[in-house]
Amino acid sequence: MAALPICANFEGDFVLQLVGVDTEDTMDQVAEKCAHHSVGRRVAPQPQKIMRVRLHGSTENYPRDMKVSDTNWRLTETIDVIFADQ
Amino acid sequence: MYQIPRAEWYDLTRAINWTPKYVTEEELFPEEMSGGRGIPMSVWETYDEPYKVTYPEYVAVQREKDSGAYSVKAALERDAYVDRADPGWISTMIAHYGAIAVNEYGASTGEARMARFAKAPGNRNMAVFGALDENRHGQIQLYFPHANIKRSRQWDWAHKAMHTNDWASIAARSFFDDIIFARDAVAVSIMLTFGFETGFTNMQFLGLAADASNAGDHTFASLISSVQTDEARHAQQGGPSLKILIANGKKEEAQALVDVSIWRAWKLFSVLTGPIMDYYTPLEHRQQSFKEFMVEWIIIQFERQLADLGLDAPWFWEDLTKDLDITHHGMHLGVYYWRPTVWWNPAAGASPEDREWLEEKYPGWNKTWGKCWDVITDNLNNDREDLTLPETLPYVCNMSQLPIVGTPGNGWDIKDYQLELDGRLYHFASEADRWCFEQDPERYKQHQNLIDRFLTGQIQPADLSGALLYMSLGPEEMGKDAHDYAWAEGFKDKTKVA
Repeated sequence: MAALPICANFEGDFVLQLVGVDTEDTMDQVAEKCAHHSVGRRVAPQPQKIMRVRLHGSTENYPRDMKVSDTNWRLTETIDVIFADQ
Repeated sequence: MYQIPRAEWYDLTRAINWTPKYVTEEELFPEEMSGGRGIPMSVWETYDEPYKVTYPEYVAVQREKDSGAYSVKAALERDAYVDRADPGWISTMIAHYGAIAVNEYGASTGEARMARFAKAPGNRNMAVFGALDENRHGQIQLYFPHANIKRSRQWDWAHKAMHTNDWASIAARSFFDDIIFARDAVAVSIMLTFGFETGFTNMQFLGLAADASNAGDHTFASLISSVQTDEARHAQQGGPSLKILIANGKKEEAQALVDVSIWRAWKLFSVLTGPIMDYYTPLEHRQQSFKEFMVEWIIIQFERQLADLGLDAPWFWEDLTKDLDITHHGMHLGVYYWRPTVWWNPAAGASPEDREWLEEKYPGWNKTWGKCWDVITDNLNNDREDLTLPETLPYVCNMSQLPIVGTPGNGWDIKDYQLELDGRLYHFASEADRWCFEQDPERYKQHQNLIDRFLTGQIQPADLSGALLYMSLGPEEMGKDAHDYAWAEGFKDKTKVA
């Protein structure tokens, strides 16, 4: 387990933010940690949607149960969190 | 007594150069300070400043200016305008003084560098007056707000701001270090007086003086006019330097100095002037939108000046023009959301009437920026102020030192421009920010932005309270909503129904 600071770009928000995640976090947990700083603050919740994580600028989402330690994220890596149907 | 007419002696006295006997020319004008760029002294002697003034003339005019501004201040002090002014206007003044006053002193250092080290005698002569100008601007813009310290400690940030690690101070220092303190005399004449002053502040101060008059603040209007008339003169030092560089095969270098300066000045404007014009100034006093102002006074006029000199419009001109619809809205929202981290009280400027104006000036505002403001407004009207305040830091650009922002809501579009160098990942808010960095990575690569400082443990405790401590913001100084959320009242019925 190790803390990893990342740069979060949340769908619908206006600013990139510093978010602390853990290498043992799954992508769903990463999405939740990022959402804490955007959803209900400047982004309206979309409860019918699922939050998915992908590398900034990529079109491919990471598997929801994939762990941070299984990615090649660099220190302060930028990731996008989007609302998806599945 | 007969006096020789000015025209007969002026050129002789302003063009003083001599052949050094005891030191070499290189020792007298070291390259890192003078920036002669291999162009012979005889060429620098052809530098022809468009605005000529003698010391007696200068002193007489400055005395008039000072007595005018100080008289207005003294006469209106009893009127206590500050006690009845709109809080948005008060915030404008407090933000302005903190960001500008001490940096005016800084500018006098840059002017003094030209006065001593410029190889062009005309530049040295004019920069002496420039150094005196900037010293006066520092003094007057510290003295005027000082009278208001009894009203709020935020006014004290006119002096304090630049001596702290507030994020806005780090951004301002990064910019001014780059164009003033860490450049040679020729680069200072181009980056400070041409890029920043001719391009931006001269016009900005004209607009600000008009805004102050409209808002009924005649003290501030006379102060700003007094400063602007100096700027109009000493801002003309860069043009002749550019002409010499271009005529001597250095156009590419001259263009790069101009372009870096313009881009960095624009970013600072987007966080200071943009929010003030479109959000803080009370609706009834707004003359032009920030975008209209920028297009008319900066984009069109400055492009003409560049062409007159034989320079091109910067390669990012189209990007900058597009950003006029985006960046300052993001900066404003950022400053508002992170309001405890600034020394002034941001005015939201997001009432139903404000939003109607914003939609008219920036079609699509409600579906983009408005989406974020909808959530903030609902939270305020449902007693959830806590959700309108931050729990983390915004990610900051490694060039501008300002948050990386983009269009939110239905038009969501934010891009992080990255660069990996020596094992470090740098983040930039735009292609142009990254380009500025790439012009001289050695100059910029060691700088730590606020996030870097946070991650290297310089901010303790490592949370927002530690960040506020690091920024030297006490409880009485931290920004709050300028109007105590009165602007959100207009949405209350709608929120309850929803």
